[in-house]
Amino acid sequence: MSKAPLLALEGVSKTYRRGLLDRTPAFRLDVDFRIDMPSIVGVMGPNGAGKTTLFEMIAGSNAPTEGRVVVAGQNMQRVRYRERDRLAIHYHQSYQVRRFSRTRPNFMLETAGSAYPVVHLFDEPQFNTQDGYIGFMLDFFRRLRDERRLVFVCLHPTAKLHLELLQEICERFFFVGKGTVRPFADFGGIVTDPDVRAYLGALAQ
Amino acid sequence: MALFEARELHLRFGDRVVLENISLAFEAGCLSGIMGPNGAGKTTCFNVLTGRYRPDRGRVMFDGADITGRSPQAIARLGIARSFQLMNLFDEFTVFENVAIALPQTRKRGADPIGVAYGDAALVAEVHEILDTVGLGERVDQIAKSLPYGERRALEIAVALASRPKLLFLDEPTAGLGSDGRARLAELVHRLKGQVTLVVIEHDMEFLFSLADVISVIHWGQVIAQGSPAELRTNPWVKNSNLGKLA
Repeated sequence: MSKAPLLALEGVSKTYRRGLLDRTPAFRLDVDFRIDMPSIVGVMGPNGAGKTTLFEMIAGSNAPTEGRVVVAGQNMQRVRYRERDRLAIHYHQSYQVRRFSRTRPNFMLETAGSAYPVVHLFDEPQFNTQDGYIGFMLDFFRRLRDERRLVFVCLHPTAKLHLELLQEICERFFFVGKGTVRPFADFGGIVTDPDVRAYLGALAQ
Repeated sequence: MALFEARELHLRFGDRVVLENISLAFEAGCLSGIMGPNGAGKTTCFNVLTGRYRPDRGRVMFDGADITGRSPQAIARLGIARSFQLMNLFDEFTVFENVAIALPQTRKRGADPIGVAYGDAALVAEVHEILDTVGLGERVDQIAKSLPYGERRALEIAVALASRPKLLFLDEPTAGLGSDGRARLAELVHRLKGQVTLVVIEHDMEFLFSLADVISVIHWGQVIAQGSPAELRTNPWVKNSNLGKLA
């Protein structure tokens, strides 16, 4: 694999407009970051803030309005649809999403340079403490990271447990809100941020 | 080398990733368990292993031969039998007849195989032996549909055993059984251990943890954990779950 960063979102923005006639933006998300090293990244943010949109753009199923998403050196929008999951894979709860907005015919696109997904995006995985699977899931995230993959775990914390889980496994964090994605270097940083505290409400206590 | 091996299986259904890089090995004489939450891909994985679906990538090896993409019939002929989550029995036939018709010797006999089976002392003895193994020795002449649910399941296993498989796959054998039925089925599976190589998919962790030599945990279409029940139990989250409380 090349020396390119595992993941780079370069000047990415996504705008949803109200409709074909009314072009007023209804939603806008601006993202710009790069991650060079394998790690487990926790993602939090209110409903509708754009967490899933962010994951879809990384997985290549949702094209950014501007900018580019580059996984292991490849622009996701230039990779053949059926091969995008060899770069980034999006697990939507228990099943996976691979529905692509087709912007050009397949033959004009390049093949994926990786045989196995480099970026794994877990969108609100179901954690149930009773059945014990949780332990295997956390170990699996760690194993992926140790195999030099980049792991995103998106959670909308509704219980203290969810915060404890994020604290236990994640090395860095993103907060999606107010139209942007803000990075935090550690758990202490994200849970003391005023915006995040407001979002967490009683859980922040 | 393991009796049965799956190497790097990948399967996509349309826009869904169903299996991603699954590798499994089942050793001869062992009971291997596969468990995972609902929708994790367990049954699909089974269907690839037993030839119902062809993987997009990856290989399936049995007894040294590459069986990837062979038909379920061809795979069965090599000595692999399976039971289904939803049972397949001849309801109007007796217990004896259900097993007799599954014997390879009977199947070769044309127009009235069951009539022939009743007249052949060696076949009758073989059917009785199989039924004794699964604990249905007393039920020989009962009509299949009149059996209680747990015994129907035992009969289904008897039908699978009739082909004298080297490897027997059981898909969620405890599905629909009460605690009594489960205990009896656990006893039966325990008896089969050592006689035939077993692979059991199970949602019921207690059942698997008490019987399996090695367990693979499947989630998101991937093997997320693997080990003996004792090894899997060392995980702190497992210890604190209902599973950890099991002796």
